[in-house]
Amino acid sequence: MSIETLKLCGLVILLAPLAGAILAGGLGPRVFRSRSHWPVLLGVGSAFVAAIVLFREVYTAPVGETLAKIPLYEWIAASTNARFNVELLIDPLTAIMLVTVTGISLLVVIYSRDYMRDHGQPERGYERFFAYLGLFVFAMCTLVLGGNFLLLYLGWEAVGLCSYLLIGFYYDKPSAAAAAKKAFLVNRVGDFGFGLGILLIYISFGTLEYAAVFDMVQERLLASGEPLTDGRLSAIALCLLAGACGKSAQLPLHVWLPDAMEGPSPVSALIHAATMVTAGIFMIARCGAIFAASPLAMTVIAVIGATTALFAATIALVQTDMKRVLAYSTISQLGYMFLGIGVYAADSAVFHLFTHAFFKALLFLGAGSVMHAMGGVIDMRQFGGLRKVIPWTFMTFVIGSLALSGVPGFAGFFSKDEIIHHALSAHWLLGGIGLLTALLTAFYTFCMVFMAFSGPERIPEGVHAHESGGWMIFSLLVLSVGAIGAGYLGVGGKVFHHFLEPVFAETFAAHMPTHGAVHAVAHQSFWQAYGLMVISGSLAFIGIIGAYVMYVRQPWIPGLVRASARGTYDTLWNKYFVDEAYQAGIVEPAKKTGELCVGLDNYFIDGLIWTVTAIPRGLGYLARTLQGGAMQGYGLSMVAGVTVIVLLVFWCQ
Amino acid sequence: MDVFIAEQSWLLTAIIFSPLAGVMLLWLPPYGDARGVRRSAMLYSLVTLGLTIYALYAFQQSAPQVSAGSPGFQLEQRASWLSLPGDDFKPAIDISYHVGIDGISIWLLVLTAMLMPLCIWGSFSAIRNREREYYSLLLLLQVGMLGVFCSMDLLLFYVFFEFTLIPLYFLIGIWGGPDRRRAANKFFIFTLSGSVLTLAGILYLAYYAYTDLGYITLNIQKLTELGQTGFISPGVQWWLFLAFAAGFAIKVPLFPVHTWLPLAHTEAPTAGSVILAGVLLKLGTYGFCRLSLPIFPAASRELAPVIATLAIIGIIYAALAAWVQRDVKKLVAYSSVSHLGFCMLGLFSMKVAGVNGAVIYMINHGLSTGALFLVIGFMYERYHTRSIDDIGGLAKKMPWMAFFLVFFTLSSIGLPGLNGFVGEFLVLLGTAISAGTSDMRPAGPLGFGYVIPAALGIILGAVYMLWMCQHVLFGPLKEPPNTPDTSTGLTTDLNKREISILVPLALACVCIGVYPKPLLNSFQVAIEQHILPLGTVYATDIEPSRGRYEIPIHREPARTQHVKHARIINNLPDVDSSAKIVVDTQRPTDAPYSFPMSQDTVITSAFDLVKTPGADHIE
Repeated sequence: MSIETLKLCGLVILLAPLAGAILAGGLGPRVFRSRSHWPVLLGVGSAFVAAIVLFREVYTAPVGETLAKIPLYEWIAASTNARFNVELLIDPLTAIMLVTVTGISLLVVIYSRDYMRDHGQPERGYERFFAYLGLFVFAMCTLVLGGNFLLLYLGWEAVGLCSYLLIGFYYDKPSAAAAAKKAFLVNRVGDFGFGLGILLIYISFGTLEYAAVFDMVQERLLASGEPLTDGRLSAIALCLLAGACGKSAQLPLHVWLPDAMEGPSPVSALIHAATMVTAGIFMIARCGAIFAASPLAMTVIAVIGATTALFAATIALVQTDMKRVLAYSTISQLGYMFLGIGVYAADSAVFHLFTHAFFKALLFLGAGSVMHAMGGVIDMRQFGGLRKVIPWTFMTFVIGSLALSGVPGFAGFFSKDEIIHHALSAHWLLGGIGLLTALLTAFYTFCMVFMAFSGPERIPEGVHAHESGGWMIFSLLVLSVGAIGAGYLGVGGKVFHHFLEPVFAETFAAHMPTHGAVHAVAHQSFWQAYGLMVISGSLAFIGIIGAYVMYVRQPWIPGLVRASARGTYDTLWNKYFVDEAYQAGIVEPAKKTGELCVGLDNYFIDGLIWTVTAIPRGLGYLARTLQGGAMQGYGLSMVAGVTVIVLLVFWCQ
Repeated sequence: MDVFIAEQSWLLTAIIFSPLAGVMLLWLPPYGDARGVRRSAMLYSLVTLGLTIYALYAFQQSAPQVSAGSPGFQLEQRASWLSLPGDDFKPAIDISYHVGIDGISIWLLVLTAMLMPLCIWGSFSAIRNREREYYSLLLLLQVGMLGVFCSMDLLLFYVFFEFTLIPLYFLIGIWGGPDRRRAANKFFIFTLSGSVLTLAGILYLAYYAYTDLGYITLNIQKLTELGQTGFISPGVQWWLFLAFAAGFAIKVPLFPVHTWLPLAHTEAPTAGSVILAGVLLKLGTYGFCRLSLPIFPAASRELAPVIATLAIIGIIYAALAAWVQRDVKKLVAYSSVSHLGFCMLGLFSMKVAGVNGAVIYMINHGLSTGALFLVIGFMYERYHTRSIDDIGGLAKKMPWMAFFLVFFTLSSIGLPGLNGFVGEFLVLLGTAISAGTSDMRPAGPLGFGYVIPAALGIILGAVYMLWMCQHVLFGPLKEPPNTPDTSTGLTTDLNKREISILVPLALACVCIGVYPKPLLNSFQVAIEQHILPLGTVYATDIEPSRGRYEIPIHREPARTQHVKHARIINNLPDVDSSAKIVVDTQRPTDAPYSFPMSQDTVITSAFDLVKTPGADHIE
C-alpha cells in the first residue's frame, strides 16, 4: 500500500463532498439554482471513485500490511500529554465502510435529483438539501476514516447534526421540527455515555489513538503501569455501548428513528437505514479489542440486539405507514447486527451491515418512489394495487423485500443466516429469537408489499399517479443488483470474510468462546452446515405465504385478529408506550425541576439576599429617624451622649 | 525602581486608553449629528482593534524568546504610581502602573477589541436616543475591560475591575428594557458588595506580603512567587481566597449568587448583553485564573471541591431553569450561568489541560453567546418581543437569521468542529485526569466523579437550546400583529450590516473549532509559567517511603529548560537537606528529573527552579 495514494484518496473522500456541500449551500441560491445537485453529485462521485481506489489498494496489499495510519495535522494540543491529531486510519474495515457509504450516497444523490422536484420544478430548499447531503457524506467519512476516538466523536456528532438538519428539512411542519429535535436529543443521551467512555479511555491509557489504546488493552496494561482490571474494561465498553445504542437505535434509545421518517425519503434511505445508523456497529467493530475482551459487554450487546430485533419486528407488524414499517424493520435488522457482534461474529455483522445497506436503501427509495407517485401519501390504507401504476418501482421493491425477508438467493439471506448460525452456537435462545424474528420479518415485509401493490387499484383522490423519473429508476435498478448480488461475496470462498480477517483476528475471533467454529463450518456434515439454511429459508417462505393468505386470499383475517386481540394490538400500535413512558418519567419531571429552579431563584435565593441586605437598610432607616433635622432630637441625643460619656468616665475611675 | 523598558512598551497603554481618547473626541466640537457620532465611535473602536492586532503580532514575534526562560510577560510598561521610598519610620511602598500581557491576556484583549466594534455597529439601528452618551459609555467600558486584562499590579487590576461597573450601570439603567432600573441596581449592588470584600482581601494581602518582604507591593508576579513558595500560610490563604472569591464568584456568576445575571441580561440593551456575556463575566473567571490559582495554591486545592460542586450545581440548575424560560434572552442568560460553570470546573481541575480548556472556553463563550445575543437583538428590533409564545416559524421568513441562530446554537452546545467543543472537551478531560499524575504534575483536587454530572449538563444544554430553536424558527409562522417592524429602515430578514456583524464571529468559531492550536499553545505557555508554575510541589504529594522525589519538568524540544537550583525548606533542622540536581540538557526522553532526598525532608515548594540558559550542572 502506498501511503501517498491512501492519503490522497482519504483527502478526496473527505474534502470533495465537503467542497460540494459548501458550493451548493453557498452558491446554490444565486448561481446553481435548479442545478444545485451537480456540485454535490460531482463531490460524492469523486469520493466514490477515491473510495474504490483506496479499496483496491487495501485489497491488493500483502497479508499483514493492510493497516495504515496517516497523520494530517495536530488538532487540539493543550498540555504536555493532552495532544490530539487529525489522523486517518485505513484498514479493510474502513475500506468496506467507505465504499458502502460513498456508493449508497452517490445513488441517493442521483435519486434525489428527481425526487426533490415537483413536476420538474425544484422544491423549496433544493440547494439546502444537497448541501446537507454533501455535509453528511463528509461527516460519515470522517467518522469512518478517523484515526482516534476524538475524530470518531467528531464524525459521530456531525452525522447527528446532518441527521437533525435533514429530519427537520420540512421545518414548517411541527412534527418534523419535533422529530429532528428528538433525534438529536436522544442521541445526545447516548453520547453522554459515549463521551464518558472516551474520557475513561483517556484516563486509563493516556491517549485516544486507536492503535495505542488497543495495544494497551491487548497487553492489559494501564498508562500508569498498573494492570487493566475487568471492571474498568467493562465500564469503558458499556459507556461506549450507550453511544452505539443511541446512534444505532437500539433499546432503550430506539425511539428517535421511527420519528426520523419525517425527513425526505432519500434521507431515510441514506442516513436512517444504510449508513449513519450503522455507525454504532462500526464503532463496536472498530473497538473490537475493547469489547471482545469484556464478556459482560458482549453479553449485553447480544441481549440488546436480540431483544431489539424481536421488539421492533413485532411493532412493524401493525404499522400502516410504509416508511414506519421500514423504520422498525431497520431497528430490527440493526438488532441482528448487534446480536452478531455480541456472539463474536463481527465479520458476519459487518457483512449484514453491507448487504442491509443495499436492500434497505432500495426499500426506502422504493417507498419514496411510491410516496412521490401518491403525492406525498404514505399511509398504506390510502392506496393499493399499484403494481401496474408504477411497475419499475414495484419490481425493485419486491426484490428488496425478498432480500429483507431472507429468501434464499437474495443478499439478506446469506448474511442473516450467518448471524443466526453464530447466535445458535452461542445460546439456543438467542438463535431462537433470531429465527422467530426472521419469520416475522418476512411476514410484515410482504404484508406491506401486498397491501401496497396487489389487489384492485386504489389511488388517493386528486393524485395524478405516475412512475418516477429516470434518475430515480436508475438508482433503484443499481440497488436491486446489489440487493441480489451483494450476498454472494460472502458465500463459498468467503471473499468478504477473508478480507476482513486481519481486522478481527486478534479481537473477536481470538476471544470467541467457541473458537474455531467459523472454520469448522467447512468440516460439518451436510445437515449441520445447511440444515439451518433450510430452516431459515423455509421460515421466509412461511412468512410470505402467511402474508399472502392474510392480505390477498382472505383479507378478512387481519380485521378479525385485530378485534380478537385488542390489547396486544393497541400495545403494538402504540409502540409499547415507550414514548409516553419517557415523557412522563423523564421529560416532565425534568421540566418540573426547571420550574422549581426558577422559583428558587426568584423567591428563595433572591429573598435570602434581600434579607441580608435588609439589615444595613434597616440600620439606615433607624439612623434616618434620628437625623430628621429636628433640633430637639439632636439636642436630646447630644445630652444622652454626654451623659453616657460622663457615666463611663466615672465608672472607669 | 527599575523601569522595564522594552520596545513598544507604549503599546498596551495606547490600547487601554485609545477608547478613552475616542470618548474625548466624541465630545469635541463640532458636534456631528447622530450618524456622525455612530460612525466616529465605530472608527475609534476599530483603531483599538487595529492596535490590539498589532500587539498580537508583536507578542507572537517575541514569543520564542519568552519560552526560552524570561518571565513571560511582554510589552511591559511600568511607571511609579503610589510609590514611596522607605525609611526607618515608614515602609517603602511599591504600587505602580504596571501593564503587560502573557499568552492568556493577549487573546482576551483580542476578544474584547473584536467584540466592541461589532457591538457598536450592531447598535446603529437599535439605539435612537442620547447616542453620544451611549457610545461614550461603551468605549469607557472597554477601557475598563482592556485594563483588567493588562494589569500586572493588583491595585490597578482592582481599579479597572471596579471601573467597569459604572458604564454598564448607566448602559442598563438608561437604554435598557422596561425593568431597567431594578436590573441596574441589582447588578450594581450584587457585584459591588462582592468586590468590596475583594478589596479587603487585597489590603490584607499587601500587609501580609509586607511582613515577609519588608515593603508594600501589589505586584502580581511578586505575590504569585510568595504564594507559590509557601510564604503565605494555608490558613491565611484560605481567608484570602474566600475574600477574592467573593468578588469573582459574583461576577462569574457562580451558583447561588447568579440571580443578578438573568435580570441584567434581559433588561440590558443588546450591546450591553453582548459585552456582559462576552467579556465582563470573564473578568470573574480571569480573576480566579490570574490571582486565586497562582497566589493561593494551597487554598485553591483545598476549596476546589467546594467550588467545583457549586459549579456543577450551577451547570445543571441553570440549564433546567433555562429550559422553562419563555423569554429567549433570559434563556440564553441562564445558559451563560450554566456555561460559566464549566469554565470554573476547568480552572479548578488545576491541570494544564483543564485550565487551558477553561481559558479557551472563556473565548468561545464570548464568541458564541455574544453572537446569540446579537441575533436575538436583531430579532427583537423587528418584533419588539422575545417571548417564545408570540413568535415562531421565523426560518421561512428570515433564512439568514435562522442560519446564524442555528449556527451559534450548535457552537454553543459544543458540536465538534466548532469552537465550543474544544473548550468543553478539554474542561472535562482536565477534570477527569485531575486526580492522576499522568501528566507529570501533582495530582489535582477533582476527579472523574465530577465529570459525570457535568456531562449531564451537556445533554441539558442541547435540550434547551434546540427547544428554543424549534419554537422560534420552525413550525408554522407566528408573528405579533404589525410586525416585522421595518419603520427604522430594517429589512424583513437580516440586512447586510447585520450579516457582516455576524460573519466574523462565525468565522472565528469555525477557525477555533478546526485549528485551535495557536490559542492553545499560547495559553499553555502562560499557564505553565504563571498559573500552575512548573515544579510546584506540594508537601502532600511526597511519598517519603520512596526516598526520592521526582520533580516533574516539562520538556519539549523547542524549549529545553535548565534548572538552576531548588529551594528546599527543611522544617527538621537536624536533617541534612542538601539536595543536588543534575540536569542533562541533552536527555532525549521525557522522563522527569529526579534527585535523592532524605526521608524526612519536606519540600514545600520548588517554585525556584529557575530556568536559565547555560546552567546545566549546579549544586
